[in-house]
Amino acid sequence: MSHVTTHEHDVIIIGGGGAGLRAAIAIAEENPDFSVACVSKVYPMRSHTVTAEGGAAAVIKDHDSLEDHIYDTISGADWLADQDAVEYFVNRAPREMIQLEHWGCPWSRKPDGTVAVRPFGGMKIERTWFAADKTGFHMLHSLFQTTLKYGNIVRYDEHFATKLLLDDEGRCRGCAAIELRTGTVRAVLGKSVIICTGGAGKAFPFTTNGAIKTGDGMAMAYQAGVALKDMEFIQYHPTGLPGTGILITEASRGEGGILVNKDGHRYLQDYDLGQPLDVNDPRHPQKRAMELGPRDKLSQCFIKEKNAGRTIRTRDGHVVHLDLRHLGEKKIDKRIPFVRELARSYAGIDPVHQPIPVRPVVHYVMGGIDVDSNSATNIPGLYAAGECACVSINGANRLGSNSLTELLVFGGQAGTHAARFAMDHPDYDVSALLAQAGDERDRIRRTYFSSPHKSGSERIAVIRKELHESMEDGAGIYRDADSLESTCTKIAELRERYANVALDDHTNSFNTELTAALELSSLLDVAQSMAHSAMQRTESRGSHQRLDHPERNDDDFLAHSLAYHQEDGSAPRIEYRPVTITKWPPGARTYGADSGLKRE
Amino acid sequence: MPDNETITLELFRYHPETDSEPRFQSYDVPYDEDWVVLDAINWIKDYVDGSVTHRWSCRMGVCGSCGMMVNGEPKLTCAAFLKNYYPFPIKVEPLVNFPVERDLVVDMEGFMDKLQDVKPYIIRDDVNDTSGGEYRQSPAELAQYKQYSMCINCMLCYSACPVVGHEDEFLGPAALALGHRYNKDSRDQGQSERLEVMLSSEAMWGCTFVGECSVVCPKHVDPAGAIQQAKAMGAQEYFKRFVMPKGAGV
Amino acid sequence: MSGQYHRSHSRAWFMERPAYIRFMIRELTSFFMAAYLIVLIITLAKVGAGEAAAAEWLQALSGTGWKVAHAVALAAAVWHTITFFAAVPQAMPIYIGEDRLPAPIAKIVMGYGPWLTVTAVILWGVLR
Ligand SMILES: Cc1cc2nc3c(=O)[nH]c(=O)nc-3n(C[C@H](O)[C@H](O)[C@H](O)COP(=O)(O)OP(=O)(O)OC[C@H]3O[C@@H](n4cnc5c(N)ncnc54)[C@H](O)[C@@H]3O)c2cc1C
Ligand code: SF4
Ligand code: FES
Repeated sequence: MSHVTTHEHDVIIIGGGGAGLRAAIAIAEENPDFSVACVSKVYPMRSHTVTAEGGAAAVIKDHDSLEDHIYDTISGADWLADQDAVEYFVNRAPREMIQLEHWGCPWSRKPDGTVAVRPFGGMKIERTWFAADKTGFHMLHSLFQTTLKYGNIVRYDEHFATKLLLDDEGRCRGCAAIELRTGTVRAVLGKSVIICTGGAGKAFPFTTNGAIKTGDGMAMAYQAGVALKDMEFIQYHPTGLPGTGILITEASRGEGGILVNKDGHRYLQDYDLGQPLDVNDPRHPQKRAMELGPRDKLSQCFIKEKNAGRTIRTRDGHVVHLDLRHLGEKKIDKRIPFVRELARSYAGIDPVHQPIPVRPVVHYVMGGIDVDSNSATNIPGLYAAGECACVSINGANRLGSNSLTELLVFGGQAGTHAARFAMDHPDYDVSALLAQAGDERDRIRRTYFSSPHKSGSERIAVIRKELHESMEDGAGIYRDADSLESTCTKIAELRERYANVALDDHTNSFNTELTAALELSSLLDVAQSMAHSAMQRTESRGSHQRLDHPERNDDDFLAHSLAYHQEDGSAPRIEYRPVTITKWPPGARTYGADSGLKRE
Repeated sequence: MPDNETITLELFRYHPETDSEPRFQSYDVPYDEDWVVLDAINWIKDYVDGSVTHRWSCRMGVCGSCGMMVNGEPKLTCAAFLKNYYPFPIKVEPLVNFPVERDLVVDMEGFMDKLQDVKPYIIRDDVNDTSGGEYRQSPAELAQYKQYSMCINCMLCYSACPVVGHEDEFLGPAALALGHRYNKDSRDQGQSERLEVMLSSEAMWGCTFVGECSVVCPKHVDPAGAIQQAKAMGAQEYFKRFVMPKGAGV
Repeated sequence: MSGQYHRSHSRAWFMERPAYIRFMIRELTSFFMAAYLIVLIITLAKVGAGEAAAAEWLQALSGTGWKVAHAVALAAAVWHTITFFAAVPQAMPIYIGEDRLPAPIAKIVMGYGPWLTVTAVILWGVLR
């Protein structure tokens, strides 16, 4: 970790997942003279978008309407989504999806050669495009392979960004990043920056998220003074494999799978989610009902069912059964082959012959870096898109299959706006930025490679484990003031202990223990914002369920929470900003028989 | 399963700053029949030796990061269960046929360059315009290339291929299968441009059809089959060029 | 800083994995096939040269050494045929709509079937 090297481009993208790559292509295509840097801590095709299974929503069929997609998204979000942003998203979605089709994504097809769509939770009509059940994988690889066409996209693979660099006018002009291979700190500079670093599910122990989803970009923006918005909203997916947390996609229910308790009863009917139809009834599965209700409600039903003693106890905790047997081998192999592969390898059961044990699992962070409907943050020149950002179209509960589409729509949009900013504000002072990068290098050295840390006493894994337990216990599906209070206290304690974290490895090349320490630091920041935001929101809405405040309270909380980082690391300052409501005033959120459109 | 059982992992260790030769280091890991080799390595890194270096992310066999040699076989360590080796020790090495960066991490820059070489994107003569809706592609047309689009770039096939080890020019199984994937896509018109690259000397013809790439491939991509098909396509293209030299029209 | 570590390849790389040995055996069978082809060509030439030459040649071929050689060549040819047809479904996939013909059937349709037919036709032509 010797001197800092400088690398100059026009626009810097941090993150090579779906959002980052879409942004890169947008810039490269619209501005052929621009040089676009894509900084990613893993090779782009390793990004977590690769794991997405079920599909991506966009209105394409004649019997569907943009209006319905908008309403489904807003009601799914429990009215916490900004309606102008949702409108933009839904209107733009079909074009983006067709674009990806033109770039080679192998969408599953109907016999006439048009793309096939499947039903998804909380959606009134089937509108989810899919590539069997490896949709994210195919989207990510299609995007990545398409970027190889553009000579003006420069990749910084396996570069770990640690800090945003701001010029004297307060504009964001790049980042400091550690080149993993050598440990060199690089100042990757440009005229504007887009953060596309994905989610932060790794703040919890039991999650569908991979090792890399540690909220680094959220923490970087938070530290730089951007608010983290709506962080109390964490999505639990109702169907993860016990033990590993591997996701069994919602598409398995979209194709007709059912959820049953230990008595074989389709328990969702007991919780206002409609009445079940026979699995052989041609109208099964019913949209916006039963198994195709929204994820927040389904996960909450699991807890209620568990409290009533009707779940199945296993070595890895309580489960219910996801039964796909009636679909038959042929349909399973054609539509959801990956589900079969995963269940066989990791649960040791074949869904053709046995029901799959499942339980709710942390899946997605609705909140994120506060951006406006142009993907811009309050720092000039700094943009964010994808799961790390909060526009917000997902509000208090994201609908399955809206996220992959969001990557395309807002990734592309962020690219366009960041490029425009770069054009309008081309000049900056390299030396000032370089000095900051130098300071960052020194900070990393001081913090992790020299005493007291060399002789410190805390192990990364131990702090991480305690954080996990505390988040699960205090900030899970149901929370209350007491549980959140103890989580907040615990996080404060862990932040102090983190100062004494000790590394075994003090070398430069490929020091993944150092990156694990940096990731833990991000997680502590993000977890802090989650717990405190949850503490302050004394109502229940979507995925945020307070046992001590069980009702939605539109008078006080039809508003986004904004958590601001404090210099001394103490509890964040929380502010609120009203939700943008245009045409869809808050209403009752109903699923089941009387769901559908509820408008005058 | 008796409690307190352990299993031994022998990890390949090499540090570029201090070592000139690699060595093996043994670690005893608690045995859990639900664990995969990757879990055991993570446990070592978390609780015993933070300097152990490896790549991983998804732990569900789809990101392609965690390929290593497990008892001499290229494997995704997140899909290799301890119970398949227990009670014997497990030897873990970095993927062969790649330079070693550190411990279990290999240098994959060469692989990335080869992927780019085959022009893995849709090439068309018309301008990109989304207003006409999606390109039509029947399920039958999709089936023609679907299998070859399933590659997760885990590079296990490169470790199984003797040609990769001996011939630098050889593009290798995954890259060739990827080129073939686009050649077989009904939406693509870039076949001859792509074959141009694939036809050059050892790029594709280096393949002697040992076939091990397809055996070790965790995603059933069958790169060996793809290459044989690509060779047939290449031979046709070659012949076409021979009878109709460039510029002589189609 | 000593940099990346490059593992060397042994010259006996084909001994590293059982599959490589199988591959080498398959390659070797080509040698026997070629050798037998030469014997066949000589036989045809002798037959063309007249009955006496042919009889003399056939007499020579009936020695034990030749018999062993024939047996080895036959085994090699059979093994070569099996491995060759095993590769057919991979190299020449057949689709019916969106479904690929399963390998065992493809082997028959594209491999053993035509081969047996051609053999039968030749035998019929020769023995008629
Ligand atoms: C198992 C699973 C299944 C899912 N299924 C669906 C689905 O069917 N439909 C749907 O709509 N959504 C689904 N989702 C959600 C969706 O996949 C994600 O929200 C989305 O892919 C996130 O994409 P992204 O581009 O924002 O981030 P990611 O794909 O996570 O990419 C983040 C990028 O940032 C980089 N990065 C992070 N930190 C740093 C750093 N410090 N320095 C440098 N680079 C960094 C990483 O290297 C990576 O390239 C699923 C999610 C999971 C986990
Ligand atoms: S072809 Fe198979 S083995 Fe080779 S990189 Fe792709 S997925 Fe891995
Ligand atoms: S960790 Fe992703 S493939 Fe093994």
